[in-house]
Amino acid sequence: MLTADLARSRTSDGEVTPLFIDPDDARYRETASELVELFETHVGDPKADLDTAIDQLTVADTDYKIIQGLAKLLRDECDFETVAAAEPYEIRQRLFERANDSYPIVRQPTLDEDTRKLDVYTAVADELGISLAECHQGMYADLDANNRLVRFGDQIAESVELDTDGTTSTTQLTGQSEEAYKGEALTVEWLLNRYNLALAQAVLYDATELRIRVWDQFATVFSYVKLFGLMHRIYPIDEHGERVSSTDLAAGYEAILDGPASLFRQSRKYGIRMANFLPALPHCERWDLTAEILVDESANETRELTLDQTAGLQTHYSGGSRYDSDLERTLADKWERANTDWELVREDDVIDLGAEVLLPDFALEHPDSRRAILEIVGFWTPEYLEEKLDKIQQADVENLVLAVSEELDCTSEDIDLGAERLLWFKTGIHVYDVVDLAEKYAVQAASVVH
Amino acid sequence: MRIEFEEGTLLLPEASEDVPYVEWDDRVKEYRAPAYRYRSLLEWVDAWDGNTSGSTVEKPAQQETIQSTTVAAEDAARAYPALALDPALQIEPREYQQAALNAWRTHDRRGSVVLPTGSGKTFLGIQAIADAGVGTLVVAPTINLMNQWHATLTNAFGDQLPHKGGDGPEQAIGVLGGGTHEIRPITVTTYDSAYRYIDEYGDQFGLLIADEIHHLPAPTYRQIPEMAIAPYRLGLTATYERADDAHELLEETGLIGPVVYEEAVDELAGEYLSEYETIHMQVELTDDERSQYDEEYGLYREYVDTHDFDLWKAEGYQEFLAHTSYDSDGRRALIAKQRAEDLARTAAKKLDTLDTLLKRHHDDRTIIFTANNDFAYEISQEFIVPCITHQTKTDERTEILERFRSGEYSILATSQVLDEGIDVPAANVGIILSGSASKRQYAQRLGRILRPTDERQPARLYEIIATDTMENYVSQRRREGVEAGA
Repeated sequence: MLTADLARSRTSDGEVTPLFIDPDDARYRETASELVELFETHVGDPKADLDTAIDQLTVADTDYKIIQGLAKLLRDECDFETVAAAEPYEIRQRLFERANDSYPIVRQPTLDEDTRKLDVYTAVADELGISLAECHQGMYADLDANNRLVRFGDQIAESVELDTDGTTSTTQLTGQSEEAYKGEALTVEWLLNRYNLALAQAVLYDATELRIRVWDQFATVFSYVKLFGLMHRIYPIDEHGERVSSTDLAAGYEAILDGPASLFRQSRKYGIRMANFLPALPHCERWDLTAEILVDESANETRELTLDQTAGLQTHYSGGSRYDSDLERTLADKWERANTDWELVREDDVIDLGAEVLLPDFALEHPDSRRAILEIVGFWTPEYLEEKLDKIQQADVENLVLAVSEELDCTSEDIDLGAERLLWFKTGIHVYDVVDLAEKYAVQAASVVH
Repeated sequence: MRIEFEEGTLLLPEASEDVPYVEWDDRVKEYRAPAYRYRSLLEWVDAWDGNTSGSTVEKPAQQETIQSTTVAAEDAARAYPALALDPALQIEPREYQQAALNAWRTHDRRGSVVLPTGSGKTFLGIQAIADAGVGTLVVAPTINLMNQWHATLTNAFGDQLPHKGGDGPEQAIGVLGGGTHEIRPITVTTYDSAYRYIDEYGDQFGLLIADEIHHLPAPTYRQIPEMAIAPYRLGLTATYERADDAHELLEETGLIGPVVYEEAVDELAGEYLSEYETIHMQVELTDDERSQYDEEYGLYREYVDTHDFDLWKAEGYQEFLAHTSYDSDGRRALIAKQRAEDLARTAAKKLDTLDTLLKRHHDDRTIIFTANNDFAYEISQEFIVPCITHQTKTDERTEILERFRSGEYSILATSQVLDEGIDVPAANVGIILSGSASKRQYAQRLGRILRPTDERQPARLYEIIATDTMENYVSQRRREGVEAGA
């Protein structure tokens, strides 16, 4: 993400607009390409060298905020590591202890042969079993500027070795190893799209409240709402974004997002979380957001940020529900092989339970249009489960059933194992148990919550 | 009723609307209160027991069910330990320190103490921690001050707290900030880090100490006391009142409490500027440095002269900076200025002069100041002297200062880490290789570090500047400020 000093936005009439760049503009494509190449050629080098090279690009350029911003996003894709033959702190401590007995250590010897400095370094190098050059280089190898760029995107430095003269010789690799690296290939498109997203995120750091409206991909969007710990109220809305009385009539959902303390005071406390959430939205075909941006906290002066899908933002977050698990995959596999009329389908419902939305994992559908919703609960406490059942009852979702793992239970004595709508399972979920539940609780599709 | 801590607030399941301080949170269908109301809520249910001092219980006294005549409350919010601590400092509290501590105690261990700079506010903080006997968070405005607290607290309590991940006592005090994230029963942090994490750790500390508390009323920082449950709170400062009157907030809302003790500045001032002698030295730039300097400085001057900025005034300089963001020549001029400054600050011949001085004073206790980290590290490697910069991790910094204090190390190099209110072990020689124009910083450095070793020999302060550079002007302005103000 961008630091505040690299953010670029314009304000007029109480509206704040991020200064997006056109990812097709040749000027920016060239800058982006230049930067990516610069990072590539510095794999294995000290961070300071990379920084100097980037600064050099901005010497007489008023676009330096853009250049430094792009560079910041690329730096976020890097790993820097300390490369030293011995623990730098250890080297330093030994050097200073020894030197303190030998002062003055000077550069211009008064006597012809003053070798105190060399003596100190050599003695410590010998103690540690490393070379003199390694001792000198390693002394401050853990400084931020001396750390080496060991990974950039999917490229890693195969080995960073020290030459005897203390300078580096690096073998560079361009990601062709069998090992699976976590990074991805960093392209000009990727960078410029990420930059626009980061500009919008930077505005959101100062947000006190975020209102979003989405008309598809509910499960993905609300799973990110939960992931970032944002508190929310959700309202069903129609095609035009107007609130409607029931989820039956919903074409989409509107949510107000903030955090627990916002009950007492407007603050930008949850701005970072809201900024982190933003990339979830472009998963939707149609979305919009309105954010209250705090300009002056003491005067409580705010501005407004509005964005929608026409801004052309691209997401780098993965789609689909965040709750995918082996368990669910296994159940789906078993279902394939099973003999039942019921069909197991991936679910995109959002059920508002008040404090949280329920994003059920599956729906069970019968050819005669009966339908049940299945939520798998892997992690729970008795309180959590009780609360959840309570809320489900309140929410009046009659066709919702839960499969709950016994394995992860804390104190099952507290819970009535015979509770309705519950399927307890130990290691895996059996298809026919689920079918039984579905037979019992499913309702005709016309009245399901959707 | 149950009191839980959730993200900087208190969640009160089974509360009712007659419970004070609560608001109905429709999102979770529960009552909620700001975290700082923790003690008041316990007092309301008549379950407040302030006698934590002296207890040796180490584990959080959680899940404790407390009965009262009217409402039963279960305190599931408190996650801080009781600590039995005895400050290892040999120093007797001065009279006013004892008076301040007493005043704070009789105000239910809440409120601020106003004492002049250099009068031992940190010492008072240590007494307060031992007195309250609970897990404590110390919040300081800068990383430097945070580091100083770390060093002092390590001295005072390091041996009495469990160490973690290492055998040195400096591992006993937690650090949150400056690249370290280690929460311990006693933890030091900065306002910035505390603001970021207080919703997460607001239940971990029973005493909140805010140093330089006049910074706290800023809207953002105000959330630190708001989101902490700490029933005990202590503010420390030399300058309590704010121009915007925001300090009143700390008192009115119960975020910290009132000023419980105040000592006038002039009663204590004047003690800590010692006798010293200043020696100014000039070095030439090398030919290479000179031609680079002239080129860069020329670029800068030319731009400034053609634009008529009045750089000796703050507005003029602001105007120049504004230009640099849209005019590419201006941008180049700014960089030229920075490069010229760097050349002057790190002139090679300064190292030769330093060399000479270190020879002369190799038996003394010397602190070398630079204005940039790289130069400090260069000196550290060249002369093999320990070095402290903003980048030095808190533990290592505490250790180096301790060794300098004990005499184990006799020379110390540092970049500008000795600003506002920083304690540095006394030295009798200071060498300024480069500095900024800040008068206050200069004066504080002089006054704080230099102590004559004996009656006949005054402490020495050397200032080495590069001739015919911007440094001349800066140095002169600095001295004018000091001499006029001293």
